Amino acid sequence: MTSAVSVHGLWKRFGQQIAVAGIDLELPAGKFIGLVGPNGAGKTTTLSMITGLLRPDQGSVSVVGHDVWRDPVEVKARIGVLPEGLRLFERLSGRELLGYSGRLRGLPGAEVDKRAAQLLDVLDLAGAQHKLVVDYSTGMRKKIGLAAALLHNPEVLFLDEPFEGVDPVSAQTIRGVLERYTASGATVVFSSHVMELVESLCDWVAVMAAGRIRAHGTLAEVRGEAPSLQQAFLELVGAHGRDAGSDLDWLGGGAAR
Amino acid sequence: MSADVTAVVVRLKLSLLRNGLRQSGGRRAAYVASAVITLLFAALQLLGLIALRGNAHAVSVAVLLVAVLAVGWAVMPLFFPGGDETLDPTRLVMLPLRPRPLVRALLAASLVGIGPVFTLCLLIGSAVSVAHGGAAYVVAVVGVVLALLVCVALARAVAVANIRLLTSRKGRDLAVLSGLVIAIGAQLANFGVQRLGSSGLAQLDPAGDVLRWVPPASAIGAVDSASSGSYGVAVAQLVLSAGALVALVALWSRQLTRLMISPDGSTLQAATESAARERTSTGLGRLLPGGRTGTVVERSLRYIWRDPKTKAAWVTSLAIGLIVPVFNALQGTGSIYFACFAAGMLGIQMYNQFGQDTSAFWMVATTISSPRDAYVELRGRALALLVITLPYATLVTVVTTAMLGDWARLPEALGLSFALLGAMLATGAWTSARFPYSIPQEGYKNVAPGQTGLAWISIFGGMIAAALLCAPVITLTIWLNVMRDGDRWSWVLLPVGALYGAAVTLAGLRLAAPRTAARLPEILAAVSKG
Repeated sequence: MTSAVSVHGLWKRFGQQIAVAGIDLELPAGKFIGLVGPNGAGKTTTLSMITGLLRPDQGSVSVVGHDVWRDPVEVKARIGVLPEGLRLFERLSGRELLGYSGRLRGLPGAEVDKRAAQLLDVLDLAGAQHKLVVDYSTGMRKKIGLAAALLHNPEVLFLDEPFEGVDPVSAQTIRGVLERYTASGATVVFSSHVMELVESLCDWVAVMAAGRIRAHGTLAEVRGEAPSLQQAFLELVGAHGRDAGSDLDWLGGGAAR
Repeated sequence: MSADVTAVVVRLKLSLLRNGLRQSGGRRAAYVASAVITLLFAALQLLGLIALRGNAHAVSVAVLLVAVLAVGWAVMPLFFPGGDETLDPTRLVMLPLRPRPLVRALLAASLVGIGPVFTLCLLIGSAVSVAHGGAAYVVAVVGVVLALLVCVALARAVAVANIRLLTSRKGRDLAVLSGLVIAIGAQLANFGVQRLGSSGLAQLDPAGDVLRWVPPASAIGAVDSASSGSYGVAVAQLVLSAGALVALVALWSRQLTRLMISPDGSTLQAATESAARERTSTGLGRLLPGGRTGTVVERSLRYIWRDPKTKAAWVTSLAIGLIVPVFNALQGTGSIYFACFAAGMLGIQMYNQFGQDTSAFWMVATTISSPRDAYVELRGRALALLVITLPYATLVTVVTTAMLGDWARLPEALGLSFALLGAMLATGAWTSARFPYSIPQEGYKNVAPGQTGLAWISIFGGMIAAALLCAPVITLTIWLNVMRDGDRWSWVLLPVGALYGAAVTLAGLRLAAPRTAARLPEILAAVSKG
């Protein structure tokens, strides 16, 4: 099995807080990979370091065989990124944003325009293509960000919380595009804390908590004996057994006060 | 019934005023002080206007004053939306009121306060200064009332329109620019007053001739017309003001009704604006070179126009770059070297390039994989700046020269401008890579908290460095000016300055590019704060 991404001894501290505490990970190529974990587990920090947006304190990352920090020319052309919590060039219209992004990557103008039109169409943004991105809804922003990340046909796509705050219709559209993309042999790595989503989409999962990888492998391997990924996850991160039922016995309808 | 509503709303306004005063002693003192000063000022104006009686230009002063007053009423609610709570009709939305009585009641409430009293004083003064004879006084009574009502209705109509505006993205964009309007307006007003002081009231007559037909100033124009016996003209001018009042009230009433029965603008705009106008390429894209260069230039130019923060910075630079040399020349204190202000002010826009991107810089960062990419990116941004700055700095220099009549010094002034521009671009590119900082997108702040030191180093260090970089050209200029027969060779400064500027720019970009490429994550972190 070849690796799309391999990470060795990755560390990141922010002041006193350790965000990522020594990660080693091999992500297989051609899979739909989910990086799951509770809020604050270090998913965004990890993805930022893998994609070259954040400098690690220690450790190395290589994507499709090229070191991210020593060989950016080879890596940046081969990856697509949709970060979380960062803006887009929002004073451009959706179409202008795609044109800008594609041309910055050195694609010929005519090819960019052709691909942009198709992506806008497939992602159901054709009607809003001349609106400024600043006026887009959350779902539309995620979709235009995804289009910009796909435009140069990358080998590996990194998506940070691509379904966060997205309505079901847009989510289904995004899902369809991603499934078609992985079916052709490309790799998708995405982070999420919605287990049902990861369970239904991914064939390979890495579970993160408190800056470390707790488990990784195929969906079946990680799930193990547990009835669902959700249960397996709760056990892995040590949140099982904290049943709220016994404490709040006064809470409920019927008996007033 | 409607009288009841009027009484209630007027009483509400009085209660709001009273309660505002009750909140704290300091606030009461401030209010009383401002009231006393305002009324003193109004009284002085009144006396001044009465003293103007009989002056040949009295009517020009009077109508101009009323026009300025009306503009004041129109812009007041834009800048102080929270100033008068009864101005915000959305607070009355839950009350079962019909539009007509509500409009009447709100109009009556608007007449309560220091502002209307101040306006009334000035209007009476204006009317007295031009009224001669019984008929004129009759017209004056009608005219003053009409003018006051037009002012008040204008403020109300603007306020209602503004409520819709301020809940939309475009309105928030506009609010960023409003401070700018005041700053530049103050500069122009200051200059106007200085000119008036030096050359007398006759200057006002052309403006007066037009404004006497523009409501609400036409109501005061009518008084003057009646004084000179042109009763027909007087009636026409009164009718103009009355028509304006009716139109404003109708507009206000319609807006008010729509506001009361429709959801607020923030949810509304998504629906209405989706029928978007076609944003076609302005032809700009076809003129630009292909590849990264053209793409970067196009994006930068679009942002100057579309991003409110960038636009405000540019308009300020353009305005100050013009005002300083031209106004100094007008006032006789000018020097042709002031024209370099244009190049200097616009050169500042090269500073903190990546901060202007905000955290969207990640889109740039993911496409820069070598110093060469960074060089092309920075060069594209410099080119976008030059597209505007080069012709503008040249124009300002030529205009300043023409006003001073000092054509012999044009080449050296241009040469200095270009050298300074080059030095600003070079230092701007370098500090963009070395000392980037965030520009918060909301509000008036231009530096994120905690990065003020960084911004100071970037801008002031950069400007000192730019001045030092210019030293060779400055030295040459001084030398040619001091030297005997040096004037014969001063034309040399134009090509020398231009070439020097270009060379310094290229060197600056070359130095900045590898730093940018090596520091992408650090730059992204710096510009993503706040």
